[in-house]
Amino acid sequence: MLRVLKAGLQSTIQGAPRLGDRHLGIPYAGPADALSMALANRLVGNASDATCVEVTFGGFEAEVETDCAVAVTGAAGRLLVSDREMQPHSTWHLNKGATIKIEPPRTGVRTYLAIHSGFSAQTQFNSTSTYLPAAFGGMEGRALQAGDVLSATTTPQMSDTLQTPEALRPTFTNAFALRACVSAETDLLAPEARRALFSETFTAGRQATRMGLSLEGHPLAVASDGKMKSAPVFPGILQCPPSGTPIVLLCDAQTTGGYPRIASIARCDRHLLGQIRPGDQVTLLHRTPEAALVDFTEKQALLDRWLRGGA
Amino acid sequence: MSATLTPLRIADDVFEFQVETSKHAQALADELRSAGLAEDIVAGLDRVSVRFDPARTKQVETWLSGIRSINLPDQTARPVIEIPVQYGDEFGPDLDAICEAMELSPEAFIEVHTGAEHEVEMIGFIPGFSYISGLPETFQIPRLGTPRARVPSGSIGISAAFTGIYALAGPGGWPLIGRTPDRLFDPDAADPFRLRPGQRVRFKAV
Repeated sequence: MLRVLKAGLQSTIQGAPRLGDRHLGIPYAGPADALSMALANRLVGNASDATCVEVTFGGFEAEVETDCAVAVTGAAGRLLVSDREMQPHSTWHLNKGATIKIEPPRTGVRTYLAIHSGFSAQTQFNSTSTYLPAAFGGMEGRALQAGDVLSATTTPQMSDTLQTPEALRPTFTNAFALRACVSAETDLLAPEARRALFSETFTAGRQATRMGLSLEGHPLAVASDGKMKSAPVFPGILQCPPSGTPIVLLCDAQTTGGYPRIASIARCDRHLLGQIRPGDQVTLLHRTPEAALVDFTEKQALLDRWLRGGA
Repeated sequence: MSATLTPLRIADDVFEFQVETSKHAQALADELRSAGLAEDIVAGLDRVSVRFDPARTKQVETWLSGIRSINLPDQTARPVIEIPVQYGDEFGPDLDAICEAMELSPEAFIEVHTGAEHEVEMIGFIPGFSYISGLPETFQIPRLGTPRARVPSGSIGISAAFTGIYALAGPGGWPLIGRTPDRLFDPDAADPFRLRPGQRVRFKAV
């Protein structure tokens, strides 16, 4: 069991995304960086989508109330256990009375805290993931706050001590190159705008939430009258409103939208979207859908050897 | 109805069909969903998107290329639901601008909106957000150039000739004409969604 001492800017409980309910208007939710969460879970012997804490820009502190095994991955600020500096990507065996401190990261946005057997949380629409706009899942549908008590689903202790293989540890800088495919309304872009989309360097805007983030600096001329019929959208899709500033959709994205869908971040790189901070540089690398799925399959195979392997 | 149904690839893991009407979209989506082969099947107003697990790419391609036609089910009409609306002022900050662009008085606009029988075409965007048809096709209201970061729950907007209800607070790009005090989404209710596609609706000024 952990007691939250400081919750930071926004810490939420996240588990599996809510696949299969988008036709009811239910967004996926789940981790903004699914790979980092899977790696944290692996270190404590959990399934990849077991329930974790997602910490945004650090500032999270908790007190250990029961001996437990935990792990921290994702954006790496300084990590302290009872004032002793600790390394991410490793199983920590903590004793009652210890304190965990996750300081703000210098690069990246979100840090994941996993506990052996997963955190206990409210399940709504078949998932424990918190969806803040509708206040469901997780801890009463809200962000964590000081005083909250986080329990493990069963026993939080394990005997193994694991480390993520060096080659599989994502590192984050202030520049992101993301593979991307054209989408349903890419043809509405003027030729110059289409060229710019896949060659210019954009700057992530100040509104970077779990729903989406804007890509600024190169407004795109889009032949839209603002009257497009609402169409399905998914995390990874780039929408382009008449202002010309594209918005990349993240895990909490709405299920439909009426702005032209001008590109889609390839599935293999979507986990990176959750680590882009305002001011970071973003370039899109054009891929065909077929090539993008080959990249996904290769990346998945590499990760699965670790994520699904034995201890 | 279109003679052929050819799926377009709109992402590396999403195919999309374009269809004629929202009724076709709902019918096709329901039929595809019953196959249980996709991660998600979502109907837009004239689109149906199929997101799939990349491990099933070949199987999904074969499945979708075999879709030839859409069977429209018999529509069993539901009773009309009345939705109270506070029009204009702080509840509908864009009502005056819309009326000015259309050269209508707000009173005339409200008369048209409350006089028509509307029908829910689609649920989407966010939980419980309903796309409701029923306004004359001559209404061609554009979306806002820049979406609002947050609109209050119950907000009612107009886009093209559709009425949309924001059951929850959140970002929104539809110009707002009013707000309903009714709650249309309750996550704790046995049936959390009050409106469904096919539901007939009337608006009442309060």
